[in-house]
Amino acid sequence: MFKAIVSSGTLRAALDSVGVLVDECKIRLDEDELTIRAVDPANVGMVDLSLSPAAFESYETDGGVIGVDLSRLEEMVKMASADQLVHLELDEETRKLHIQIDGLEYTLALIDPDSIRQEPDLPDLDLAANIVLEGSHIDRAVKAADMVSEHIVLGVNEDEDHFYVDAQGDTDDVHFELDREDLIDLTAGDAHSLFSLDYLKEMNKAIPKDAEVTVELGEDFPVKMHFDIAEGQGNVTYMLAPRIQSD
Amino acid sequence: MGNADLRQLAVIEDVSFEDCSGVVAVDAHNWLYRYLTTTVRFTNSAAYTKDGQEVANLIGVVQGLPKFVENDLTPVFVFDGGVTELKSEEVDERREQRERYEEQLDEARQRGDAAEIATLESRTQRLTPLIVETTKELLDLLDVPVVEAPAEGEAQASYMARRGDADYVGSEDYDALLLGAPRTLRQLTSKGNPELMEFQATLDRHDLTWEQLVDVGILMGTDFNDGLSGVGPKTAVKLVHEHGDLWGVLDAREEYIDNADRIRSLFLNPATTDDYDVDTDLSPDVDAARAFVCDEWAIPASEVDRGFDRIEEALTQTGLDDWL
Repeated sequence: MFKAIVSSGTLRAALDSVGVLVDECKIRLDEDELTIRAVDPANVGMVDLSLSPAAFESYETDGGVIGVDLSRLEEMVKMASADQLVHLELDEETRKLHIQIDGLEYTLALIDPDSIRQEPDLPDLDLAANIVLEGSHIDRAVKAADMVSEHIVLGVNEDEDHFYVDAQGDTDDVHFELDREDLIDLTAGDAHSLFSLDYLKEMNKAIPKDAEVTVELGEDFPVKMHFDIAEGQGNVTYMLAPRIQSD
Repeated sequence: MGNADLRQLAVIEDVSFEDCSGVVAVDAHNWLYRYLTTTVRFTNSAAYTKDGQEVANLIGVVQGLPKFVENDLTPVFVFDGGVTELKSEEVDERREQRERYEEQLDEARQRGDAAEIATLESRTQRLTPLIVETTKELLDLLDVPVVEAPAEGEAQASYMARRGDADYVGSEDYDALLLGAPRTLRQLTSKGNPELMEFQATLDRHDLTWEQLVDVGILMGTDFNDGLSGVGPKTAVKLVHEHGDLWGVLDAREEYIDNADRIRSLFLNPATTDDYDVDTDLSPDVDAARAFVCDEWAIPASEVDRGFDRIEEALTQTGLDDWL
């Protein structure tokens, strides 16, 4: 059983954060939270999302897992304006999700969860540096790097006490530095890792510009980025595997 | 080359690359030969140096490696050592035939018959010492492991797979089955999905032991002997079931196969070595490899850029599962 009412803004933020990585996903419906964990087909980018029942106007379930075609669901939810409420109800018999927005009614055929790529295990990472910054800073860094390169270095200079971004193109380079003043918080530790911009660009789309984003970084390690959605009643963690070049 | 009729006995299934991962011990000569005859040769005048030496293998390697590394397969290239003595007859025969083709090729060139030239060029293909050497050098720059077999590369590759040092043998040759390779990936040089040939399942299907399967192979004919006349796969299996082994069959039919004992041991106990050290964590120096192919051997960058990009992408981008 699953029956919920949620603002379309909250639902869209949640679905978009997953939709930038995968087309289909499993949604776990537990009494104390709704969770989605998914990894892209190449196993490079992962999203781990949790929404508390408090993020919903109402939320009732006795547990279960459903498989959804995210782009179809996102399309339907986009028909609502941000403050409209979306009613969701699972029909266990037909394995369909009924979606109601004002007078509009959709029925979404669900996907067999077993046919969806297995949810990944979470790597256990001990990352030296911790940077807290505004989503708009990430947006700026990604856009600047994208002008010159397909890859981006994220790093922390422990001695200089700053967070930096480097992108090297064939002819042009970009360097972007944020010191303690520009950041919300910084736990410095030597960190330097190279990432594919393709992934970071997609993740950036789902990071609200005004969100407080915690970035955990290491030396040739995956990066973790967390931020809240749904006014603190939900959170998203992205993890992205680095590119490692031999010398 | 192996006897293609073995296919009728082999348990072979189509698999997708997604279902395969691990180390593939590739019969290097077999793989290169395939690439040179099917993929590279028809298209390329770029594959010759200014003084006319052929290095199409360099294009073949760069175009062929992405298929492995993009699919989580780590290739180990196993090169032939000396030619097995018994096989020399086949080598002689192939050389003579090649000489005939080469004469025809000269004529075709004089006529300017492009289709005939392409066909004959692929038939006259040989792995020159230059091809073998430059292939090894390029693989070395790309950090792809190379193993030198004491004799046949395929036998060494099968041995490595039997020891568990490789998850698959990569070969188009059905002899991998007689050599006891547990799992053989075929069609690694073709478009589309590979085929998986399984040793134990093949024995089980025909209720044979490994020795008996080799005997069946010898009765049908191998690279080292002609089979008994009129004996195909089905008859060979039937005869071995009836008479127990090769000797029983030969006695019963009052026939004789030269060197049968030695041929048997070429499959069951071929010359192999434990002296190999394979690091399957590849960290290629793609820039150096590009320089080797494009600067040193003057292959146009357009022939290999895409392949190099794919290799670089596949091997520098890590996966999250690497951190579990």
